[in-house]
Amino acid sequence: MRGLWSVLLGWFALVLYLGTDSLAIAQDAIKIGVLTIRSGPAKPIGDDILAGIETATKMHGPVLSRPVELVIEDSLFNAQTAVTKATKLVQQNNVAGILGTSTIEALALLSVADRLGVPIITSNAGSAAITRERCNKWVFRTNAEDLMSVESLQELVKNTPRLQQAKWFTIGHDYPWSRLVAGSVKGIKDLQYVGETFAPLDTTDWAPFIARARSAGATAVIMPVTLGVPLLQFIQQANEFGLTETAMLVSPIGLPDWLVEKLGRTSTNIVSAGSWAAWRYEEVWSATKEFNQAFYAMHGRVAGMQSLQSATATLMLYNAIAKAGSKDSEAVIRALATVEVNTPVGLLKFQPDGRQALVPLFLGPYEKLDSPRYGATYGQRAEPFAASRSLPKSAAEYGCKLS
Amino acid sequence: MDWNFLFVNILNGVVYGSFLLLTSLGLSLVFGLGRVVNFAHGAIYAMGGYALIVVMYGIGAGYWLGLVAAPLLVIPIAMVIERVAIRPIRHRPDVDTLLVTFGLSSMIVGGIEYVWGTGTKLLPPPSPFAGIVDVFGNQYPLYRLVAAVVSLLVSAGVFVVIQFTPIGLRIRAITDDPGMAEALGVNRKRLLTLVFGCAAGLAALAGALGAPIFAIHPEMGMNILIDSFLVVVLGGLGSLMGSVIGAFFVSLTKSIGGGYFAEWSTAILFLVVAVVLIARPTGVFGHGRVA
Repeated sequence: MRGLWSVLLGWFALVLYLGTDSLAIAQDAIKIGVLTIRSGPAKPIGDDILAGIETATKMHGPVLSRPVELVIEDSLFNAQTAVTKATKLVQQNNVAGILGTSTIEALALLSVADRLGVPIITSNAGSAAITRERCNKWVFRTNAEDLMSVESLQELVKNTPRLQQAKWFTIGHDYPWSRLVAGSVKGIKDLQYVGETFAPLDTTDWAPFIARARSAGATAVIMPVTLGVPLLQFIQQANEFGLTETAMLVSPIGLPDWLVEKLGRTSTNIVSAGSWAAWRYEEVWSATKEFNQAFYAMHGRVAGMQSLQSATATLMLYNAIAKAGSKDSEAVIRALATVEVNTPVGLLKFQPDGRQALVPLFLGPYEKLDSPRYGATYGQRAEPFAASRSLPKSAAEYGCKLS
Repeated sequence: MDWNFLFVNILNGVVYGSFLLLTSLGLSLVFGLGRVVNFAHGAIYAMGGYALIVVMYGIGAGYWLGLVAAPLLVIPIAMVIERVAIRPIRHRPDVDTLLVTFGLSSMIVGGIEYVWGTGTKLLPPPSPFAGIVDVFGNQYPLYRLVAAVVSLLVSAGVFVVIQFTPIGLRIRAITDDPGMAEALGVNRKRLLTLVFGCAAGLAALAGALGAPIFAIHPEMGMNILIDSFLVVVLGGLGSLMGSVIGAFFVSLTKSIGGGYFAEWSTAILFLVVAVVLIARPTGVFGHGRVA
């Protein structure tokens, strides 16, 4: 009996020791929140975003000599859910920062960022307001804002005679970004603009809208359609109706690479008016190549622009935490404001007194590769364009006043 | 007035309406017979798309064999679902079957994502029907026309079965007067299982036909489900003729509305449906049953 008690006590002590040790390890990790799309038609975007963050986390290794634990939450691509999940990440999971957000989540979190009190770095939100009039000291952005994309569109037109002579038409979803894109085309001097149409957000049959473009005689169609399944459906149907033969399709912010691969030869009929990132930048930038190799090793496919961008945001955050020497939120955002990091999109820092990264956009056609790379047979030739030159020297000049 | 533009939009509406007719016929039949509002109908539409690629790429069969096989694969699955999940609760309040079928929808979509992933699959139209033809001076994809013809022929077949066959007689009897029909020996339970399966087959066929146009992804049935509900509400729950009129009303409103009033097309459609619901709850033609 005494022997049995000794065994039980010894077992109990062992369990306690192991449990305490595990608890110590778990407590030791730096938790980073990932709030992104994990379901619905836009899930492929969230997949890319998460994959980029995971790869960058693995590449970077420990932060402050501590392992990094990613806490992933599904935003459902919904503003209210994003706020709820972000609150949970901060209050229950005690995350040191939040990554992965797109436009809907980033805009929603702006209103509660002061309450959350952690750095939030978005890498997939184009709305200029996020870092302009609605800027907040906690919210940073690594991808280009919409108004920077306007600059790169003008550069594209300047360099492409066929587009200068074209009859432009906008086909997009019925939301503010589409109208911004349409406005940016109309704002280019001497361009012939023949019409626009904005489809309801749940559109799956693009036939009426394609018919309208054809009826207007469009020879260049810019397509601010939601990235993901809707854009794939639109391009497939445009091809079906022969629109890709009679008109050049222009993607305002480029195509996700999984979509390029699915489109195959059709993608060569599309031009990007400024991709947020391009994996073929590896041809001139070693950090991109290192990332691409790590990404392919981890995920078995080529890194899309959302992955490259989310990895960039991740590296900015980790480097800022390292620079701050702690995960104290105020120290981290002070470090973020000044840190300069070698990322897959180039050497990156945020605008002085602002929250927008001085990031390039990538022009260049989609091409068939001479030989497959990272499983891809098509890819955008990466021609970087300094779109951030459109930003004023100080963020305050465009309405960003950080308290 | 650009008549060509109007013509193309009418043609677009007829094509989409033919798909809608296939899915809404099934929805209407199931409600008419069993008073079941089947929220899983959209997920079954998606099953049709995936069944097609299983047959085409898993077995190596061609598109047309896949088109025939896809509904045949889905029908028995749907019959099992009806027997196991819906029949036991059919006599409960309608909201119970609504919730169960909603849950089934999530389960089916989740199962599809688990097996095939969340990615989108592009399927080219079968080669004899790829490409564009000239329709009264307008270029139009040939496959869309072929798919519309197939949909309309199958829908016509459904009407023939309902109107002129003994089983169709039983279905009409149960729809009109369930009590009397059962008293006369019609086995309502067995008939509902069969009809549920066949309705699923129609939805699966629509999914397979639509796959080369709308691509294949787990959520592909959601939009057509909503449109199908609009159709049966407009036409009258349980009214097949109402489904025909409703399908083409919805599709033409979306198509012509999309062509001329893009941002307003959906609003116009739902406004009309709201008016119908208020003024004629049994449907525009008054043949249907109030849910």
